[in-house]
Amino acid sequence: MSSQSRSATMALLEHAETISQGAEAKIYRGRLHPSSSSEGPDAPPVLFKYRFHKQYRHPTLDVSLTKSRVAGEARALIKCLRSGVNVPGIRMVDAAEGVIGIEWIEGKSIRFLLGGGAEDEEVVVDDSDDTVEEEASPAEDPLQEYGLTKDAVMLMIGKEIAKMHKADIIHGDLTTSNMMLRHPSSLKGLQLVLIDFGLSYTSTLVEDKAVDLYVLERAFASTHPQSEPLFAAVLTAYEREMGKDWAAISRRLDDVRLRGRKRSMVG
Amino acid sequence: MDTFRYPHLPSELSTVHIALFTNVTNSAALRARIVRASQLEGPDGDAEREAVNFAFIDARLICSRLHLQTAIYQAILAQAQGSLRTKTVHSEILWALNPTNNITEAIRRYGVADATTSLIVVRIASPDLNDVQQRMNAVVEGTLTPLDQLAQITDWASVKKYYKLNSEPALKELAKDPVRERLYVDEIVTSSVAMKSVMA
Repeated sequence: MSSQSRSATMALLEHAETISQGAEAKIYRGRLHPSSSSEGPDAPPVLFKYRFHKQYRHPTLDVSLTKSRVAGEARALIKCLRSGVNVPGIRMVDAAEGVIGIEWIEGKSIRFLLGGGAEDEEVVVDDSDDTVEEEASPAEDPLQEYGLTKDAVMLMIGKEIAKMHKADIIHGDLTTSNMMLRHPSSLKGLQLVLIDFGLSYTSTLVEDKAVDLYVLERAFASTHPQSEPLFAAVLTAYEREMGKDWAAISRRLDDVRLRGRKRSMVG
Repeated sequence: MDTFRYPHLPSELSTVHIALFTNVTNSAALRARIVRASQLEGPDGDAEREAVNFAFIDARLICSRLHLQTAIYQAILAQAQGSLRTKTVHSEILWALNPTNNITEAIRRYGVADATTSLIVVRIASPDLNDVQQRMNAVVEGTLTPLDQLAQITDWASVKKYYKLNSEPALKELAKDPVRERLYVDEIVTSSVAMKSVMA
């Protein structure tokens, strides 16, 4: 792509902090825009998602797949934004290098807040105060900081998914790790934010929406075993937001529960 | 004038100078001068083109500093990768700001018009270029204003019209709360600029 040995975007990531790595991409936290020569507050951090080269793929295929996935993710995000679904904003796109920069969300994942534990690494505690942490004793409910009950969070989840489905966007990987609560102290205020649209696509089919919900239901059951009744609240809020489209999705969800998420059993 | 340095970008594109001018009185002359500069031939033409080698942006259509920086950054990336869609990195900024792919429309809407009174002037350069402020003052007749004043200049109705945001249900809900509505419009517009290169 670029004639230089090291592209601008790769140089940018070298100075960013790696947060996690999966099979598909690496996640960094970094800064995109420098603060100005005159004073002014520091720009907020940006999250970079780098879809690295896959050695096992033919290089030509690799470039075109990476490019189309970065583009797909960006398009899903902008469509969500325009439809009023809470998702992170986009900050930069370098499709040639497979990098997308998105808004850094100050807050915690729902998985963590429901006591499902942080995904890997350590529990990220805001170390604003030194040494003695009076709060954050393990028994305490981390949701207290957000002033919400678990039920209230479930209603927010259901509403956000319904808004997304009304825009005909299927997330493709709904789990409690892919949802965050934006901290009330941030500029945009307390929000439930859906993240990671790497597997998302557009569809008007009842089937796809029902499977999306089913995937989340299973994720709830496995990550938060004691909280099964909570999922009912997600569906209640979803139904309220969906209106007349709910009946068909509900019926299909019952079917999907019986057969699993794959429609066809052939092969 | 604000200056931003991007150490990870190629040196000749690593420094961004941004100035906001209000009460601009010579917009019509400036526009004519830019058009003329593009047609002049020989060394005179090169000198004249260098004199107006800036991006001139109608400040009313810019929502926030981040919005502007995002457009500038994507233009620099395109230049660094040899994938410019317009002739220069400065015109590429205007292209990035406009929601459609039409270059003429981008320049007409986001560039300097005869009636423009608030103008953002951008220069992308190497760190060695030192007299940018003087060069800007030489072409624009207006009051140099801190970039934070942008918030008072933005014409939200035009922004929403160009981005076709008036029909979006999300914004109808927010219509009663102008502060949050602006935050939201800014986010949609900034994100649109960031993903312009992969738009469709």
